[in-house]
Amino acid sequence: MLPVSAEVVIIGGGVHGCSIAYHLASKGMHGVVVLEQKYLTYGGTGRSAAGIRQQFGTEINCRLAKENIKGFIRMKEELDTDFDLELEQGGYMWLAYTEGQLNQLRENVRLQSSLGIPSKILNPDEIKELIPLLDVEGVLGASWCAEDGHVNPHRVTFAYYEAAKRLGVKFYTYTKVVDIEIEKDKVKAVVTDKGKISTRKVVNAAGPWGKEIGKMVGLDIPVVSERHQIMVTEPVNRIIKPLILCQDDGSYWKQEPTGGFLIGMDNPNEKKGYDVGVTWQFMEEVSRRVLKKMPILRDVRVVRQWSGPYDITPDSQSIVGPVEEVEGFYLDVGWSGHGLQFAPSIGRIMSELIIGEEPFISVDVLSFNRFKTGKLIPEPACI
Amino acid sequence: MRKTEVLVVGGGPAGLSAAIAAASMGAKVLLVDDGLKLGGQLVKQTHKFFGSHRQSAGVRGIKIAGMLLSDIEKLKDKIEVVSNTTATGYYQDDGVVTAMTGEDVYMKIKSERVIIATGASERMLTFPNNDLPGVYGAGAVQTLMNVYGIVPGDRVLMVGAGNIGLIVSYQLMQANVEVATVVEAMPYIGGYLVHASKIRRLGVPIYTSHTILEVYGKDAVEAAAIVKLDSKWQPIPSTKRILNVDTVCLSVGLSPLIELLWQAGCKMKYVPQLGGNVVLRDKYMRTSRRDIFVAGDVAGIEEATSAMLEGKLAGLIAASDLGYAYDGWEADREDTLSSLEELRRGPLSEKIRSGLKEVVVEW
Repeated sequence: MLPVSAEVVIIGGGVHGCSIAYHLASKGMHGVVVLEQKYLTYGGTGRSAAGIRQQFGTEINCRLAKENIKGFIRMKEELDTDFDLELEQGGYMWLAYTEGQLNQLRENVRLQSSLGIPSKILNPDEIKELIPLLDVEGVLGASWCAEDGHVNPHRVTFAYYEAAKRLGVKFYTYTKVVDIEIEKDKVKAVVTDKGKISTRKVVNAAGPWGKEIGKMVGLDIPVVSERHQIMVTEPVNRIIKPLILCQDDGSYWKQEPTGGFLIGMDNPNEKKGYDVGVTWQFMEEVSRRVLKKMPILRDVRVVRQWSGPYDITPDSQSIVGPVEEVEGFYLDVGWSGHGLQFAPSIGRIMSELIIGEEPFISVDVLSFNRFKTGKLIPEPACI
Repeated sequence: MRKTEVLVVGGGPAGLSAAIAAASMGAKVLLVDDGLKLGGQLVKQTHKFFGSHRQSAGVRGIKIAGMLLSDIEKLKDKIEVVSNTTATGYYQDDGVVTAMTGEDVYMKIKSERVIIATGASERMLTFPNNDLPGVYGAGAVQTLMNVYGIVPGDRVLMVGAGNIGLIVSYQLMQANVEVATVVEAMPYIGGYLVHASKIRRLGVPIYTSHTILEVYGKDAVEAAAIVKLDSKWQPIPSTKRILNVDTVCLSVGLSPLIELLWQAGCKMKYVPQLGGNVVLRDKYMRTSRRDIFVAGDVAGIEEATSAMLEGKLAGLIAASDLGYAYDGWEADREDTLSSLEELRRGPLSEKIRSGLKEVVVEW
């Protein structure tokens, strides 16, 4: 049974929704409710390759990313969890194949360095030394940060969930939000397929479904849902620690601590919408691309493929914070494919905004308002 | 991309019957099977079948396989067989099936109709050291012995007293392998009395309300512990006994191999009487995706005779969808339907009947 009222209703049981809920409750807030249309991690969270990096190209993301790393390092203790979060700081490498790409990476690294992020530019010899198994044909250089890495997205989400639950947060799965009632431009209630909850504060952390949620309060949130596919191989001996991203064809891969390779690629022609199906064309194409670069994977079997939705905005930048149009309506959407890793910093910032504290890092530049003022802040470091 | 009219996935009794039926109607059939030889589990079944005489009762499984294979041979103009090939995926967007022959040859198949006859896999039990060499599925042991002529060990603990556990116990003894004990977690023997009596007469004890607790050994099974279960299925520690065995056979049921059906997005339902998640279908074995049919254990754990009848139905209807027919095929179809009903009429089919009520629908 749903409660009749709540202090805050968070829509979305992904890693962001769970992190916001945890941070709110840890600040002593009571009456926090999380609603999830399917099960926790159903959306982008559970389908993510879950890379963590500080190699971004906008100041706001770099600042937040530094906090994310710190957050992941202390997470096990902070959330008092038994889960192995599989945090591994094995490094993250962006390979450039054109002068233009390399120049952009140089620019990114300059920004990152100015903010205290220990990234650097590598030449092909240095790349080969770091990753001997990589075919560096055509590679002009790379940006590299040894502190970056990856986590297990399910474990992280469930660690937040367990911690939030211990602090009194109520989670309702298979509960779909169908409407949000507004009175005099203020949030009044959230209507679900299982009943109604009166509340004055609603957080839209619904990822790609955030657009539909926005419509319920009359907002046109510029988020497009786009399918991204990925596949995993059988587990094999650990041969590579860093996450590798190739900018010539958008292919990327990482080897999980348990041995399987997660392999994906960017595809500009990918299907829009919420379909989470897969195609053989992806499997063939990504195999071709990655085998050229990592021939050693030739005999490794593919076990499974899946896909997840990215919530893409016009500037590939998230939309965070309250909105002018509706009092009590908060956004945390539009992460454009790099959102999972921001759960530690943004969860905290959202909780500060909701409670009325000064956020520890200002996210004003990420506000919904920027689409009216035209002050977009395109994030160049996106996959 | 290979193109065909009817793709049959699986060359066991259901798949072979489906291929024969579809080809007899006139359709072009591609049959892929992961085994080196066709026949599925029939080829290891040296025991005689039950059921009605019309459906080959009294004939040994391996003989039935031979009969089906000779029909396939007669229809070789219509049926192309690709062995040693595993269907690895069904892609919803365009209905393409991917497959691998061995480890090296990859292919894509596009077919007007697909009949999934992938059968079932043996269930596993969780207990310490269940991954030690020497822990087998009973069906795997049957394959080892009856197809390849290899005995699994010298002294066996059989877990499960259903028909497969009992039959394999007997066949182990026929191969001069000692069966130490049969344990059965249920308070009664699940298999037919005739099979149980055979091994009891040879002095093998069958302990009901007993299960395996763990296995011991360094590089392979050296011993196993069994224990009695109380009425709430909890082990009674004081009853623990160690058996010196080098082989443990698990015969604890089968699960339908439904992965391709999930991938295809067919409507599924969890029906324990049929072995777990199974697909909804009409009486002619058509799933919620008009172009996909099922037959045999993948549609619900039953036995080879019903699998053959289901395969025949699926093959007939799939081919008829494409405009094929032969004189009297509709009478054949109805006859096959009533044979299935007749087969499932007895008291031993009560479970199947109640399961089918939940999954047979009208589209």
